[in-house]
Amino acid sequence: MKNQWIEFYRGLVTVKASGKGIERFINALTRSGINIWNVKNHGTQSVTFKMKLEDAKKIRSHARNSDCRIEFLQRAGAPFLVKRLLKNSGFAAGALAFFAVILLLSNMVWGIEIKGANPATEYQIIKELDKMGVKKGKLQFFVDNVESIQRQLSNNIEAITWVGVELKGTTYHLQVVEKNEPKKPEYLSPRHLVAKKKAVIVDMFVEEGRPVVDIHDHVQPGQLLVSGIIGKEGQTETVPSKGEIFGETWYKSEVILPLKSTFKVFSGNEKVKHALTIGNLEIPIWGFGSPEFEEYELEENEKSVKFLKWELPISYVNKTFREREQVTRIYSNKEAFEAAKDLARKKIKSSLDENAKVMGEKVLHQSIDNGKVTIAIHFQIIENIAEGQPIIQGDSE
Amino acid sequence: MAKKWGQFVRGWMTKNMELPQDVMMDLPRITMIGQIHIYIENHRGLLAFSDKELRLLLKQGQLLIRGKAFIIKTILPEEILLEGKIDSVTYISDTD
Repeated sequence: MKNQWIEFYRGLVTVKASGKGIERFINALTRSGINIWNVKNHGTQSVTFKMKLEDAKKIRSHARNSDCRIEFLQRAGAPFLVKRLLKNSGFAAGALAFFAVILLLSNMVWGIEIKGANPATEYQIIKELDKMGVKKGKLQFFVDNVESIQRQLSNNIEAITWVGVELKGTTYHLQVVEKNEPKKPEYLSPRHLVAKKKAVIVDMFVEEGRPVVDIHDHVQPGQLLVSGIIGKEGQTETVPSKGEIFGETWYKSEVILPLKSTFKVFSGNEKVKHALTIGNLEIPIWGFGSPEFEEYELEENEKSVKFLKWELPISYVNKTFREREQVTRIYSNKEAFEAAKDLARKKIKSSLDENAKVMGEKVLHQSIDNGKVTIAIHFQIIENIAEGQPIIQGDSE
Repeated sequence: MAKKWGQFVRGWMTKNMELPQDVMMDLPRITMIGQIHIYIENHRGLLAFSDKELRLLLKQGQLLIRGKAFIIKTILPEEILLEGKIDSVTYISDTD
């Protein structure tokens, strides 16, 4: 028997032949090499049989010669299926388009929700996001990842201390903590002002309370500066004393700095690769070959394709190779001292209040041994040394 | 006379050289599977076909197959596979 499947691919037809010379007709067909099968008798002088579609055209002449009328009953097989499929291709195209649209819409940014920001900051954040390309209707593949949005926002907007960015489905949720939170009402219960540390008073500005020290006084930590008890003796009342007492204080800062140090910097050369991953298979789209850098840092950015709420195992990967170079810095002795001083100044500044002033500095000692610079500097600093101390009732008597 | 002589030679060759008869003498080879299938090689064409009867032309004479519900599963110039319920297979020789 023949392989029916191959016939199916080529297409087959059912033919009905009727007339007197059916046998002659069948003999003629077989002799001219036309395959027929499933020959069935239907009543008197009529048979049905199946044959290949490609032979269908040839049988006409044989039928005429042998006095037969033929009729095609049924068409089956791939060619007819394809024809029907083409006729109904609109449905298939529609279904495909539907999935494509859903896929596209599932990967868009559909909303940005900002919580915890006042309207002005919110507007600023929205503008900043806009600049980064995060807005409604954008495809998520071309938007930076959450960490970098978070970093850029907190770097570029002064007004916020921290921002948490979270991507839930198609919506970005931003949780903002602002720097300028409403000031807490000041501590207004009765109090004294006392010295924070050892200092010589340089300037005083007392809003409320009775100062008990004077300029050029030398104070010890915990010493009373401004009393919260005012009024004549016997008629005293306690007030929350307020004010700023600027005193000259002294700090000693010691810095050790190696003369020779190596560190790594980016050279600015980078190579970007784009790829599509399906399961474990990676198909490169753009950027081929491995980077020619000896040392590099790899930043990988993966975005998975979503379909409705599910994540497909397909994802878009963006790899950036940044070249890294090792740089050796060698200071001369003089440079090393300068750098160490600089470092010491910075160290001091970072540990002080914003409104503290460095009045003078004095190098106590500097030395070089074992390839390291050691420097000790004495700083004179003017800062507010006042500190509140609550007055406990009963203390005033 | 020449035809008869040729047949005699062929008959003698098959007998003495042990060659298969169907090849040498153009005889039909008939394979039957129970009553349901019959496979005939070396026929010379269809003479009559209905669902109760099939008549085949052979080199010498005819072959008549009777039965019920006949379907020709395959037909090739020299082969035929018939399906149905076969009751009888009869040789009709035209020399008589």
